[in-house]
Amino acid sequence: MNALEVENLSFGYTPENTILKDISFEVIQGRFLAIAGPNGAGKTTLLNLLCGLLRPKAGSIKIDAAPVESYSVKRLAQKVAVVRQEFVPVFDFTVAQMVSMARTPYLDTFGFEDKTDIQMVNEALEATDTARFALRTLGSLSGGERQRVFIARALAANSPILLLDEPTSFLDLKHQVGIYDLLKTAQLKKDKTIVAVTHDINLAAQYCDEILLLSADGNYQIGETKDVLSPEQIEKVFGVRTFVGRLGQEKFFIPLGKFAKDSGKTADISHNIQYK
Amino acid sequence: MAEFLTVKELAVKISICLAVLVVVMCLCAIVGTQNISMRRVFDGPGQKAGENIDYEIFIGFRLPRVILAALVGAALACSGVVLQAILRNPLADPYILGISSGAGLGVMVAVLSGVTWNFLGGSPIGIFAFAGALITVWLVWYIGHFTGKSQVTSLLLAGVVVNAFFSAVIMFLTSIAKSEQVHSTIFWLMGNITDKSLLVLWVSAGCILTGIIVLFAFCHRLNVLALGREEAQSLGVDVARTRIAAFACAAFVTAIAVSLSGLIGFVGLIIPHGVRLAFGPDHRQLLPISAIIGAGFLVIADTIARIIVAPAQLPVGVITAIAGGPFFLILLAKYSRRVSWLK
Repeated sequence: MNALEVENLSFGYTPENTILKDISFEVIQGRFLAIAGPNGAGKTTLLNLLCGLLRPKAGSIKIDAAPVESYSVKRLAQKVAVVRQEFVPVFDFTVAQMVSMARTPYLDTFGFEDKTDIQMVNEALEATDTARFALRTLGSLSGGERQRVFIARALAANSPILLLDEPTSFLDLKHQVGIYDLLKTAQLKKDKTIVAVTHDINLAAQYCDEILLLSADGNYQIGETKDVLSPEQIEKVFGVRTFVGRLGQEKFFIPLGKFAKDSGKTADISHNIQYK
Repeated sequence: MAEFLTVKELAVKISICLAVLVVVMCLCAIVGTQNISMRRVFDGPGQKAGENIDYEIFIGFRLPRVILAALVGAALACSGVVLQAILRNPLADPYILGISSGAGLGVMVAVLSGVTWNFLGGSPIGIFAFAGALITVWLVWYIGHFTGKSQVTSLLLAGVVVNAFFSAVIMFLTSIAKSEQVHSTIFWLMGNITDKSLLVLWVSAGCILTGIIVLFAFCHRLNVLALGREEAQSLGVDVARTRIAAFACAAFVTAIAVSLSGLIGFVGLIIPHGVRLAFGPDHRQLLPISAIIGAGFLVIADTIARIIVAPAQLPVGVITAIAGGPFFLILLAKYSRRVSWLK
């Protein structure tokens, strides 16, 4: 069953300017899709369209076979959880308070959590290893810890679909991998459909089932990550040559700049790596 | 493990704060230029008028005034909480949206046009202030939405512009008014809690308390709204509708407070801050506790205004401003490490 269906989608912020042109794709429930492309290609715009924050100029978006416009704001939040880049809120909410906000679409008139809400929040805090600083304020955490809190909030919403906008953009290597490990676990254990905007094609290659490559000229390509990601395709979309390596079944890409000593060669280095 | 705010826990906190408020109100009602004894008050009214002066002063003058101060304090504090959340600006207060200048202009119009009719047994000045405040808030909201996409910034800017323009009009009207007309408005502009008819008091109490209960129902959405528009919508809050409804309710409650007491500054700014620093930013707790502490604060401030230069009286706005500034600085110094936006 398709969790998301996008048909002939076009969008522009002004009538003359169209960022996304005639895009169509589906995401099957339980799959992990990466959206990658150069700056200004419309990745975040596409994400905002998928979560109903923007309305398409033409075409349609369906969530669980129903048009996104047919959902109320509350109902849509129960279906789709969104994680944007981490930030420090104006007021000093604690981690537990922030994660509890995921339950807003389920709360009664005066907005107090019931047992189910509390259980969901606690499970999300445990799953993301944020329970140990549940009572600390968001401002007192590091960027990586805060991003984990926002992912905990998305998990606490218990929605079948997760949309993420560059969840690892300001994080160090350990936290980048940590965040994607978390997401992959949620996908596999809870059958979540995940769509993540990312600049990191290596993380996408490692964790995502499919990838949507958006070009700045409006062209796009979607398919299995291993099929879509090639040095030619990456050069076409990003305008950068890459060195491609293989690690077992997985490919990895190293971008090559003007000063790169070697260029454009593909090497299989799997035999050079010794695991202890 | 995380801790969650439960209805029971909140009820206990509210009950304790309410009990303290009642004690403060009773103590403040006893204090005054005329000493009265609580024992005599409990003796009741006596057979004929003038037999038990203590009772008559307490019930007839002090208690209504203390209740009035409490209502105004609660309204201004709640309004501050709500506007700070909607505008995502810890420095917002009920007056930033032009409420003060609008109400002031309403009063100037009433005084200059020499209205003499009676409303609910009281002066019509309050009605003009109420109308002026509401019209200005509507104007600010309209300009804020008309001018830009970033509603928060344009609302704040519209408030500043309207405030400046109306202040200029007030100054112009003051300069052409007769001196006795000016005198009667100056006390009002400085914030002054004077005796109101019991009917005005009960009608206002009903409106303010209803407003606070309605605002309380918005509190969990205010938590989310304070994170920003995109975040709030993703978390299932209808941003436009919630903003309009909460804003209208806060403006209504403030307009009533302003019409009752004139312009009393600082309450809407420092009380939410103080309560947020002590109890945290969860609006479900912040709003009711701010209401009670705001009520207590203004009751005490009004009592000081009544007695400090007795037999004369100071406008309570002077006391809140003098006490509010240093109090705010003490709070900042004590809690600044806990508040990230102060860093």
